[in-house]
Amino acid sequence: MDLSLSALMCQAQAGDSLAYTKLLREVSGLLRDFVRSRRRNSSPSDVEDLVQEILISLHAVRSTYDPARPFTPWLLAIARNRMADGARKFGRALAQEAKSYDVVLNLYSPDQPDGEPGPDNEALTAAIERLPASQRKAIELTKLREMSLEEASRETGATVGAMKLLVHRAMKSLRKAMGKV
Amino acid sequence: MKTDALIARLAESPVPVEPLRRPWIRTAGWLAVSLVYVALVVAVMTARDDLLSVTGTARFWVEQSAALATAVLAAFAAFCSCVPGMDRRLLALPVLPLGVWLTSAGGDCLAKLIQEGPSSIVFAEDWLCLPAIAIVGAGPALLMVRMLRCGAPLSPALTMALGGLAAGGLGSFGLRLFHSEEASLMVLVWQIGSVVLFALLTGWLGRHAISWKRLIRQSHAAARFS
Repeated sequence: MDLSLSALMCQAQAGDSLAYTKLLREVSGLLRDFVRSRRRNSSPSDVEDLVQEILISLHAVRSTYDPARPFTPWLLAIARNRMADGARKFGRALAQEAKSYDVVLNLYSPDQPDGEPGPDNEALTAAIERLPASQRKAIELTKLREMSLEEASRETGATVGAMKLLVHRAMKSLRKAMGKV
Repeated sequence: MKTDALIARLAESPVPVEPLRRPWIRTAGWLAVSLVYVALVVAVMTARDDLLSVTGTARFWVEQSAALATAVLAAFAAFCSCVPGMDRRLLALPVLPLGVWLTSAGGDCLAKLIQEGPSSIVFAEDWLCLPAIAIVGAGPALLMVRMLRCGAPLSPALTMALGGLAAGGLGSFGLRLFHSEEASLMVLVWQIGSVVLFALLTGWLGRHAISWKRLIRQSHAAARFS
């Protein structure tokens, strides 16, 4: 197995498109299993996102493969590194999201006296209205109607990953609009 | 994007790439070019007057050998650190000569302190060391960064710190050939201290100099122009 992958990689380094396609197909299967075994709680779309990120990284550093060395440790070192990066990024995004969520909750408090929107609420409402339609919908569903990402994705037909991205981008825009960046 | 579509796009017209040479070959190449640069700087600065007399002392040879070995092994470790799948224990290699270097300067300092008392320890400001090491190490450092950017950014801060240690070690090696300073405490603080500072600084800059983001963007640009 390792020898055949190694041979395919040598051909790919020489610019053989067919060998490279075959290699990436075989490797994507291996990576899918590897990612799934390490991220048991990840959704299939998250697993696929990671597999794709690893494939892109592999492509970027394919010159670092030394044909005299085994292929699998080289591949798995890239995979582990990208997964660790992904986990760090995910952690940062979660923390950022939690912060942004607090900002929205603090700004958009329905308990204003007489139900009158305060100045911040007005600004926030205006900022939400200025968002692109898809992002506005994502915010309405996940933050104002408090749906989970899965529920919101079912409602809109978007994937969970796409919904997560929409919410993240909307939050970033809102924080910027409210001067909380 | 579906993974199959991504694979088709990546493999559409792969640019042929030459496999990176092995770390020890890259180290030899870096060292050869860097030594020429260091020799040129030493020639421009003119070698110290007492060079012949200090070459007669064992301490000079031990410390110069340790500085050079630190530079070589740190360069080798830096090149290993950007090859996926390499044994990570190799990254600790420069610790050994760095330890010898520190022990030699520190040991001499301690021995003087015990034998002759605190008055024998000379300490003065020598801010020249920092820029001098930076000048001698600049050529090797730039070449190192250029070479490291071809590798995989698995641990950018560590890779760059090792690269900085290599360039700084070589800088200190060159410095001692034109800068007359043999007091052990001065060598320990100003010369070895500058090298360590140089390594920490380059490590801190690591993420900006080498990153997956830059490498992936570069590889996409190469594919577009192929």
